[in-house]
This record gives sequence, structure tokens and C-alpha cells, in this order.
Amino acid sequence: MISDIFLTIITMVFALMVVFSKKTVVSAFALLMTMLSIAMIYFQLGTVFLAAIQVLINAGAIAVLFIFVMMLINLEQFQNNREKGKVKLVISAITILIILGVFALIINNNIEVLAVNNIADNSMLLMFDKLFHVYYLPFEMATVLLLAALVACVVITGHEKNAKVELEGDKHE
Amino acid sequence: MLEGILEILIKIVVVLGIPLGALPIIIHVERRGAGFIQRRLGPNRVGPFGLLQPLADVAKFMFKEEVHPTHVRPFFYTAAPLIALVVALLPLACIPLFGTFEFDGRTIYPEVFRSDMGIFYAFAVSALGSYGILLAGWASNNKYTMLGALRACAQMVSYELSLSTAIVAMIFVFGTNDIHGIVGAQTGYWFGFLPKWGIFVQPVAGMLFLVGIFAESNRLPFDLAEGESEIVAGYHLEYSSMKFAIFFMAEYIHMLALSALFIIFFFGGYSLLPGLDLIPTDNAFILPLLQAVSFITKIAIMVWVFVWVRWTLPRFRYDQLMDLGWKRLLPLGLVNLIVTVLFVYFRNQ
Repeated sequence: MISDIFLTIITMVFALMVVFSKKTVVSAFALLMTMLSIAMIYFQLGTVFLAAIQVLINAGAIAVLFIFVMMLINLEQFQNNREKGKVKLVISAITILIILGVFALIINNNIEVLAVNNIADNSMLLMFDKLFHVYYLPFEMATVLLLAALVACVVITGHEKNAKVELEGDKHE
Repeated sequence: MLEGILEILIKIVVVLGIPLGALPIIIHVERRGAGFIQRRLGPNRVGPFGLLQPLADVAKFMFKEEVHPTHVRPFFYTAAPLIALVVALLPLACIPLFGTFEFDGRTIYPEVFRSDMGIFYAFAVSALGSYGILLAGWASNNKYTMLGALRACAQMVSYELSLSTAIVAMIFVFGTNDIHGIVGAQTGYWFGFLPKWGIFVQPVAGMLFLVGIFAESNRLPFDLAEGESEIVAGYHLEYSSMKFAIFFMAEYIHMLALSALFIIFFFGGYSLLPGLDLIPTDNAFILPLLQAVSFITKIAIMVWVFVWVRWTLPRFRYDQLMDLGWKRLLPLGLVNLIVTVLFVYFRNQ
């Protein structure tokens, strides 16, 4: 029970850090830590396979790409280029409302979703049957965070409309 | 309860102790092996055959002045070597040194973390290996470390793909993802003399996996993470004394863990070496002991292969490395996977 609360708090803190951190790379690492703590929650629920997949795909591949790209672009020049004022407030409010709505939907229509302990079974067939029917929505909720990160990447890097970026072709062929 | 905790603690000590204790020996073998291949002596002054040289090196690393550059990002700079070491140690938790055996009426599992999905866990945590390097390169705030880290990371992510195709093909062949099941499927002989090792069933996957672990552990011929003539030293340029030694340790432990996985899939894991199975196993402890001896011998041979390749093959150029990974190995791995899946499907019909 205590570890449940602990993991939930850790996940929430890192997820909030993704959004509110001033430094882009810190955000990216917070994203990685969020993925890992979600994996820990899966792990604690006894679904080792899900935890491994979460680490392998979300933490091992997707977050690496985010961090990779953020390190490649010159970070310092994008530091203060965030949406400010009313636009930011409105967008944040809409996003939070949508997410809360989805959660309300889950809780109203399908209480069983919250009892994830049911899938603490390492039989793959049973697990995937459950995963792709009953628990599909909560499993895919993690991608909302990825979407947010993607949008953030576009916002951060997309400000120079006139700058020309010329990529050198592969001349070694 | 107390017994369970004690059991896990003993396992942790064994699992951490063996690789950490073997490290000085591996480094010694590496340096003496380099000397042997290059027709020179190698370190032979400290102790008999130079065996105490690693100890002297450790003492040197510990007492050396640590230079902490002022232009680095302090938190990430300190965290990077620790992350690299911890992530390198994690996959060891699910690698069994010997088979299960009965003791005091209980079944003893050799792994710290026992699960049917152990193999996925091992590959998942070893996929995190790129973070330590990436962090070190970025936190050092130096363009050469940055370039080294990006090169290492791109290389690891690329070769993970062909490595994964090999693993999936092997899991299809064995029909199980439990490590003990995989090893069990490789116990015994064909025609009375050829061990039932995975390498004889899937030589292509074995080759892919071998190339993959060389690239994953940043060893020659794929040691593009370092390069004296291009990027000074690579991602660990700004690190000195013990922090540098920790990166060094992490690299070797990563290599050991990947070798162990390679042996589990392709050389029968802890299944007995040909010849050892003639020894009668009347005592309950003899079989696990023989299994551990077999496994460690196989890993030792793998370590020698690493050293051998390192001093025999020239380095790749970076574009050649990427070509090999994406244009040759990945298509080869996918074709191999499809053929294997079709074969297994029609065999089971």
C-alpha cells in the first residue's frame, strides 16, 4: 500500500516535471523517469512482461530519441521560447479537462479497469486477451504524455520560420 | 520470511560478487592477450605473471586526484557513471548460473529475480545502457564528449534491432521464453555427439546476436564511441580517477551480461559441457556445481573471443557501421525471422 502511494507520487511528480521544467533536457529525462516509474507500477502489479515492454519501448527507444534530438539541437537558444500568457493557460486548461474527462469516463463506465490486479498472471495468452480488450484504454493512456512531448518538441523548435536548415547529404556512398 | 530475505541477500552477494571479482582478471586477460597477439609481453612486473597489476590499477584510481571540471552540469555529471554502472548490473539479476535444485525440501532458484519473463526483463534493462553514456556526454558540456555520446547511442539503438530479431527467432525455435526452458531445450546431443545448442539450429541468428553484442558493448570493431584521432577520448573525456574507472567497469559488466545471454541462447547456458556429464551426480550439490563450472567456462571463452576480435579486426568507419547495421543485418535478421516463424508454424501443423 505504501509502495503504491510512493510510486504514484513519484510518477505524478516526474510527469509534472515533464511539463513544467524550465530546461528541455531535464524535461526529457523527467519523461524517461515517468516511463520507468510506470514500468515499476506494472512490475509491482506482477505483470513483468508489461513492465519489460514499457521499459523496452517507451523508455529504451522513444525517450532515447527525444533526448537524442534535444541534445543535437542547440538547447540554450530555445530556453525562453515557450508559449506565454493566455494562450498557454487556455491550452493547459483544455488539456487537463480532456484528460479528466477520459478518466471520468473510465471510472463511470468500467470500474473493473481499476482492479488491475486481475492481470497479475504471466500467461501471455490470457494477458494479451485482457490487455487488448479490457485494459486497452489505460494502457494507451501513456501515449497521451508522448503526444504532449511531441507537441512540445514542435513548439520549441518550430519558431524560426525563416531560418534555412540545409542538411548535408550522405557523401560517402 | 527471514529465510527468504537471507536467500535473496546471498543471491545478490553471489550475483554481484562474481562479475565484480572477475573484472580484474578479465582486464588482466585483455592486456596480456593484447601483448600475446601483438608479440610483446604486456604487464608482467607486478606479482607473478603481472597478476597483481589490476590491484595496483585500482589503488591508483582510488588515490588519484579527481579533477572536477567547472563547466559541467554537476548533478548529471555525477549521476552519469552511477547510472551506467547500475544499469549494467541490472540484467545480471535474472541470469541463472546453474539449474534449480532441491535443498532442505525447497526448490532453490539461482536467479535473484525469478520470472518466466526474465529474458524480456534482461533485454529491457540492457536497452537502458545508452542513458549513462548519453548523460555523460551531455553533462560534460564539451563537443567531443557530446559527439562520442551521440555516436555510441545511435550505434546502440541501431544494433538493438537486429539483436531483437535474433532473440525473437530463438524464442520461436525453443517455443518458450523461460530461461530454464531455453537451457533445458539445449540439453542433450544429436547423433550422440553434437550438443543441441542453438547455434547449430540458428547460425544466422547467432551471427546477428554476436555482432549485436559487440556493437552494444561498444567493443572493437565497433568502438566508435571512442576515437583518439577524431573525438579525443569519447564520452568519458571529462572524467578522471574513480568516475572514469566506473565507466570502465560498467562497460565490462555490460559485456559479461550480454555474453551470458548469448551463451544462454546459443551455447546451452548452464547445460553441461561435453564430457562433464560423465561425472556421476549422487550428491545433490555436484550437479549445480558442474553446471556453474560449465557456464563460467563458456563465459570465459566468450571473453577471450572479445579480446581476440579486439586485437585482430580493424575498426569500422561510422558510415560503414550504420550501413552494416541498417542495410545488411536488419534485413537479414527480418528474413531469418520470417523463415523461422514459417518453419515453426508448419512444423507445428
